Amino acid sequence: MLLVENIEKYYGSKNNVTKALDRVSFQVEQGEFIAIMGASGSGKTTLLNCISTIDTVSAGRILLDGENVSELSAKELARFRRERLGFVFQEFNLLDTLTIEENIGLALSLTHSDPGEVKRKVEAVADQLGIREILGKFPYQVSGGQKQRAACARAMVGGQSLILADEPTGALDSKASKNLLEIMTQMNQNMGATILMVTHDAYSACYAKRILFLKDGRIFNELLKGERTRPVFYHEILDVLALLGGDVSDVI
Amino acid sequence: MSVTLSKLSMRNARRQAADYLVYFATIVLVAALLYAFNGLIFSEELRRLSKQMAILPPMIVLASIVVVCIIGWLVSYTTRYMLTRRSRELGTYILIGLENNQVARMFLLENLAVGGCALVIGILLGNLLYQALRAIVLALFGAAYHFSLSISGKTMALTLLYFLFIYLFAQLKSRKRIRKMNICQLLYYERQNEGAVVKTGKNRRVMFVVSIILGVTGTLLLMAGSYFCILGICFLIAFLYGFFLSFASGVPAYFEKRPARKYQGQRLLIFRTLTAKLGSMGVLMATISLLFIATILTVGVGMVFNGLYWGRVEKNNCFDLVLATDDTGEAVYESCLDYIQENIPLKEARSYDVYLLDTDHVMAYTEVSTMYYRYYGKDSVMKESDYMALRRMLGYPEVVLPPGQYLIHCQPYVEAGLKGFTGEVRLGGEVLKRGETCTEVFAQNMYDFGNGAGFILVVPDELVEGCQVNHTMYVAMAREPITEEQYNKLFALKEDILWEQEIMDDAMLYVKAADEAQAAAGTASTVFPMYYLALVLAMTAATILTIQQLGEARHYRQQFALLKKLGMDGQEMGKALRTQFAIYYLMPAIPPVLVGIPVIKSLADAVEPGTMVGIYHPLVIIGMALGMFFLIYGIYILLAYSSMKRSVLPE
Repeated sequence: MLLVENIEKYYGSKNNVTKALDRVSFQVEQGEFIAIMGASGSGKTTLLNCISTIDTVSAGRILLDGENVSELSAKELARFRRERLGFVFQEFNLLDTLTIEENIGLALSLTHSDPGEVKRKVEAVADQLGIREILGKFPYQVSGGQKQRAACARAMVGGQSLILADEPTGALDSKASKNLLEIMTQMNQNMGATILMVTHDAYSACYAKRILFLKDGRIFNELLKGERTRPVFYHEILDVLALLGGDVSDVI
Repeated sequence: MSVTLSKLSMRNARRQAADYLVYFATIVLVAALLYAFNGLIFSEELRRLSKQMAILPPMIVLASIVVVCIIGWLVSYTTRYMLTRRSRELGTYILIGLENNQVARMFLLENLAVGGCALVIGILLGNLLYQALRAIVLALFGAAYHFSLSISGKTMALTLLYFLFIYLFAQLKSRKRIRKMNICQLLYYERQNEGAVVKTGKNRRVMFVVSIILGVTGTLLLMAGSYFCILGICFLIAFLYGFFLSFASGVPAYFEKRPARKYQGQRLLIFRTLTAKLGSMGVLMATISLLFIATILTVGVGMVFNGLYWGRVEKNNCFDLVLATDDTGEAVYESCLDYIQENIPLKEARSYDVYLLDTDHVMAYTEVSTMYYRYYGKDSVMKESDYMALRRMLGYPEVVLPPGQYLIHCQPYVEAGLKGFTGEVRLGGEVLKRGETCTEVFAQNMYDFGNGAGFILVVPDELVEGCQVNHTMYVAMAREPITEEQYNKLFALKEDILWEQEIMDDAMLYVKAADEAQAAAGTASTVFPMYYLALVLAMTAATILTIQQLGEARHYRQQFALLKKLGMDGQEMGKALRTQFAIYYLMPAIPPVLVGIPVIKSLADAVEPGTMVGIYHPLVIIGMALGMFFLIYGIYILLAYSSMKRSVLPE
């Protein structure tokens, strides 16, 4: 579904170049739940931004369903984001002037979908994520966990093929984090969503089926959950992180 | 459920009006001002007041064009600022699949909705403001005012046209900007901090010193007037940008070298808050300062003009009519007198001569002690009988001229200059000593004519025999105010004869009502537009400062919440906020005050002596100009402070 081939990303000017991504390649299959881990500055968010078309690559290519995202025109890119990608950010990125229901349905209504259909779809996804009762509220009236679930609902309401999450539990307490991760698992398993999640939190990562570890812009290791239980997988992640030499705060 | 782009725009417009209430209020006031002044342009009633009012429409249009440019810049600046502040929100729109064009359209709709609302409220408010302006103009002409509320189509159309220009200019710029926007920059924009513009210490110091030199030179050149003004303005612009950029860049370097000072009291907090947006802050402060200089100078120049018009009126407005000619203007004198006797009912009139002595002792003394300008070669005198008759005509208290003395009737500034003068006058073989001095208004500011220029000596009748007659005066008090039409007839009569005889300026016609109408028209057509401009300039600058300050409210709120957790008490937080406010608002106001005071003073001093007195005194004008400026500025500061205190400081 997603093919990342030898991508490189440089920042800075002529005299001060920073290599954020260094020949990164990997593939994501339909229905996978992948976590990308690494220490601060390892290039996790840059990788996600490049895949999500928020940022552009300096070299290499990214193909989503066979389509090279860097070759799309501005108009195609807008349509591509609207129809194929869903985003979940640490800071939720919900629009303050819209209710939760309107935030979820905004992209759909902008594509001039049938209003009745939009409402039905929004309610269906809200039911699945357990936020039906807050649909009429504004973002400032609900909790962080609810906001993030609303962001998840927005990310998948249009049947987007890939959900990209950047530190989705970063601004949540442990209970809300656990709740969100279970919802994401449910989205992956029951609703067929393909999820690519950036996190530096081992606990969040252990909900994924596969983990890519980044170090200094390169893929350092890959860990598959397989048939392991979540606690076992969690301890294996901690071992890899110890090998990576990340800070204690990155592990815990 | 359906959220269309237009619905979203309307919601955002409502939020924009609430979040940027000060900006919205300023746009409403500007709409009101534009409407009110446009109302003056199309008012038949005001145009009928005097022929001189024909100059009013072009002057107001000119001022309005400048206002449109300034407000166009304000709207453009605020739109750009909003785009920056809402970068994450706009990034999210693009992220969920909106095209840049759609976002641009949505933003345009939002701004047009805000502008439209401001225009509607502004027009309603402008109608009341127009009534106030109308009442002032009518009062200037001494005409009666009757309240009559009506909305003029022409006025509305012109106001709408101005608003279209303002918004089209700003929105085209923002449309271009949005279309070029990069989603990545949008999402992470808020995390950026600005660096110092001038990086090395040596460059900063050189820039600072050079800018101060340019500032002082620019002010001196402005004071010198004429062509030097243009150079002075260029120097002042260079001074402001140089000063604020070097100053803003120098503050962090100063504290880096002096850590002990940095950590003293609340300095660290205040200094970091002020330097977070260093580069743009320097440019912003310089631009605001420039607008403030323009405000103070515009209001000051307006007041000097006002003083000039009415100060001159007040120096002459004793007789209803004065006609003066020298020996070559006999034909003018006769013709005008015929017209007056036939057409203007008079209460009283008198014809007399003004003579010249063969000495200039009084004039020479006055020249040294005051800024007196010499219009005659010698001291002017008049007969005691004429003088006493004129005093009676004017209702002034009687005075006595004791034998062996001469009396001086002069303007107050000349009296001050003649303090200590004991010169004698030798006339007709007699020596006269200085007697009483009178300073009532006595038509003494009529240049080559009048009852002397600034002063006249009054001597016994018999002594002036043999003196040279400088000019003949005819003064009168009318039963009813002389109309503009009568004045125009008399004026045309005078000019035609002078033209036929090919003699220039050898006759002078003064009609009190016409002189007052001229001053009133001058005030309405030059002073009003200047106040209008000054008001808009001050509002624009204060709005930008306030928007910037209130835009940081969320950041400050987080900062003070954290400080509270770190143990800072409420009083200390309030003090830190006040100090930061004081520095932020005072900094751009200091250079304008330092430049404005000497420039207004030199302008007011350039007017002929004796005019800028009383409420038109240069120091009073400076005080009033600064007072008006700080009043408007203070309102904005208070609004910003109360809103900030409420939303930023923890309970």
